[in-house]
Amino acid sequence: MSIVTNDSPNLIRFLMGNEAIARGVIESGCALATAYPGTPSSEVMESLTRWKKELRYPIYLEWSINEKVAFEVAYGASLAGSRSAVIMKMVGLNVASDPFLSAAYLGVRGGLVVIVADDPGPHSSQTEQDSRFFAWFAKVPVYDPASPAEALSMTRRAFDLSEKYHVPVMLRPCLRVCHARQNVSMSGPLDPVTVGPFQKNWTKWAATPKFRLVLHGELNEKIKNISLQESDTRPRLISGAKESTLAIITSGSVSSHVQDIVVSDSRLSEVPVYKVDAPYPVNHKALQELVDSKTQTLVIEETYPVIELQLIDKTKVRGRISGHVPQQGELTPEVVERIIMNFSGVETEEMVSPTIRARRPSLCAGCPHRPAFFMIKKLFSESIFTGDIGCYTLGVNLGAVDTCLCMGASIGMASGFAHAADKTDNDQVVATIGDSTFFHAGVPALINAVHTGANFVLVLMDNNITAMTGGQPTPATDFLADGASAVPVDMEKLIRGCGVKSLEVVDPYDYRALEEALTTAKFFSHEKRSGVSVVITRRACIRSRSSSVPNIKFQVGENCDRCMTCIRDLECPAISFVKQEKIVQIDLDLCSGCGFCVDVCPSQAIAAWRNVK
Amino acid sequence: MTQMILCGRGGQGIVFLTRLLGDIATQKGLNVISSETHGMAVRGGSVNSHLKIGPFSSPLIRWGQADCLVSLDSSETLNNEHFLKQGGIVFENSSASSESGLYRVDASNMARSIGGIQLENVILLGFSIFLSNFEISLDDIRQQLAEGSRYRTREQNLAALEAGVRVAEALME
Ligand code: SF4
Ligand code: SF4
Repeated sequence: MSIVTNDSPNLIRFLMGNEAIARGVIESGCALATAYPGTPSSEVMESLTRWKKELRYPIYLEWSINEKVAFEVAYGASLAGSRSAVIMKMVGLNVASDPFLSAAYLGVRGGLVVIVADDPGPHSSQTEQDSRFFAWFAKVPVYDPASPAEALSMTRRAFDLSEKYHVPVMLRPCLRVCHARQNVSMSGPLDPVTVGPFQKNWTKWAATPKFRLVLHGELNEKIKNISLQESDTRPRLISGAKESTLAIITSGSVSSHVQDIVVSDSRLSEVPVYKVDAPYPVNHKALQELVDSKTQTLVIEETYPVIELQLIDKTKVRGRISGHVPQQGELTPEVVERIIMNFSGVETEEMVSPTIRARRPSLCAGCPHRPAFFMIKKLFSESIFTGDIGCYTLGVNLGAVDTCLCMGASIGMASGFAHAADKTDNDQVVATIGDSTFFHAGVPALINAVHTGANFVLVLMDNNITAMTGGQPTPATDFLADGASAVPVDMEKLIRGCGVKSLEVVDPYDYRALEEALTTAKFFSHEKRSGVSVVITRRACIRSRSSSVPNIKFQVGENCDRCMTCIRDLECPAISFVKQEKIVQIDLDLCSGCGFCVDVCPSQAIAAWRNVK
Repeated sequence: MTQMILCGRGGQGIVFLTRLLGDIATQKGLNVISSETHGMAVRGGSVNSHLKIGPFSSPLIRWGQADCLVSLDSSETLNNEHFLKQGGIVFENSSASSESGLYRVDASNMARSIGGIQLENVILLGFSIFLSNFEISLDDIRQQLAEGSRYRTREQNLAALEAGVRVAEALME
């Protein structure tokens, strides 16, 4: 059977790095891919759903409940004999670390590629962790692509390597690859590959500790063989002259900056630049020989010193450990340029950093989370607000988010505040979490809180979608990643099943109902101290397909006495104070007609403007 | 070789412009690489795209290297000016009047009269005629917009482009 229908090979397209990775997945004959959304990785699964449709490619795709489950589903498929992929952002790998480390020992059958996107900067994440380091910790080989085109090719190499050595293989693109676009040549998709049906063997697939020791030995052997036999583990000259007494060793997206800088400056163009495609496990001998043959070697990689640490003798090496490369922050072209200039002894002018007044992000005008935060702030002025990960982290702008740790932590931390020894200051806690994050990691924390009798209010902001990352389905939605129908999980039943006794569901646009529901919850948890109460504020994200925003706009009338309540407490980006004219104004391009500001205004100055059709 | 920064607020269609130009360059067989903002910042925060046509490896433009800055929001111009090379030019969505090297058009108002605020980005594209040696011609852009799938957006995009071109031509005189 050939599945290449309306796609001719050797097509060139302007692809985003994440699209190129997705293309690599289907050019590798992958039969199953799973993911949990997270910037900068989300577009990989989205592109897979598009290629699947466009090419009628027979691949099973799912947005899983969290990264751990996503990993396990992909691993199961690999044992079943199929090539499979699992996609996440780097903090997702923390969640999936348990199966990830264990799978390295057990090994794989069908090629398994673990795609983990890193975010040096960080631009949209809690940490700057380097997943290559995690790969090393797990003893899993890792590819580090420099560009979208290379990401496609490395995805294919990763599948081959995985199947050849029976190990999971990581592909670690950085944000600058994920969200770069480039003209990329594509080949046709490959029919899904299978290595034959699963053979039962408990000493391997259900190994007890005794056999794990054996498996660990096997894994060490695999890693050694990869480092010795695979050319991708050796430094490869990408520019400059071999003969120079200096060398730069680099890897991944930062290598693209290095290359552009060296090539465009005649004072630097002689310096040889070596790239390592697979920075773990490196070929120690080849790498050390290179370093030994030079007077100085500079190692530039993001974000941790993975290649650098694998060098046995670092006396002639400059990098993060020696302090020549900054220990944190993205290695932008300007930073890299400085480092290379210093290293090569080329004079440079002092650079003045521009003053940047970046506009702060804000919940969309009309976002259903905004009224919820407004009301929480209004009714719980004395409380501590534990927040979570999603658009609603932006509740900080409304003063209704005090903490943000990791996925699901709002609930666990709320319990901690509630159970803490010093009750005097911490005895009123309100946790906020979104629907997708609740499913991801909030459910066990809620069960734990109910079970231990923690007293706090949980506001579950249900917009029926994973909004921050572009509107992916959650377990409560009735469709799967590729649009096929799904069994929606009933959130209320789930919450009641966790043992929650006080549960209210409200439309956050409804001022009175929202006020009432939160007051009831406050009474239950903060006054009567009867345990966790849950308020679900339910309304679709205004950017989602199922959004039903009223087709109406609002304006500020003459009654406005410039008290600034709407601007200060509601923080809707559509409302602003116009300095010159000293008036409060609603931007009709931005207003999405939620109407909540009407009830917020103490002077009743806000009213509907006109119906837009 | 062209290096271009496109900037504005999240939601103004910066990525659309970047993709459009990149798609055209790709179809012309050129090497093109770009970088764009996603994630939290697109909720109304500052966003920018880097677009590089030519033999580049890195998707990012270094400070002082951009030939041109396309700005959909005048306050974002200041945040991105450091990318411009000496003599680099700016196309800005603003109601103020143009200066040498800084070409302005009130794209927001013009877009509203053509069919909606979302067209402001395409109006700015009309200013590409100010770029000498730009690999992409107005006709290339017209052709690409004409391939849009939805009739209404297609017609509106084309009208927005021509409106931008008319302003640019008037400024050139
Ligand atoms: S995308 Fe949806 S959830 Fe996120 S801020 Fe906008 S309306 Fe709110
Ligand atoms: S109705 Fe009021 S609160 Fe809602 S989007 Fe418009 S200005 Fe903002």
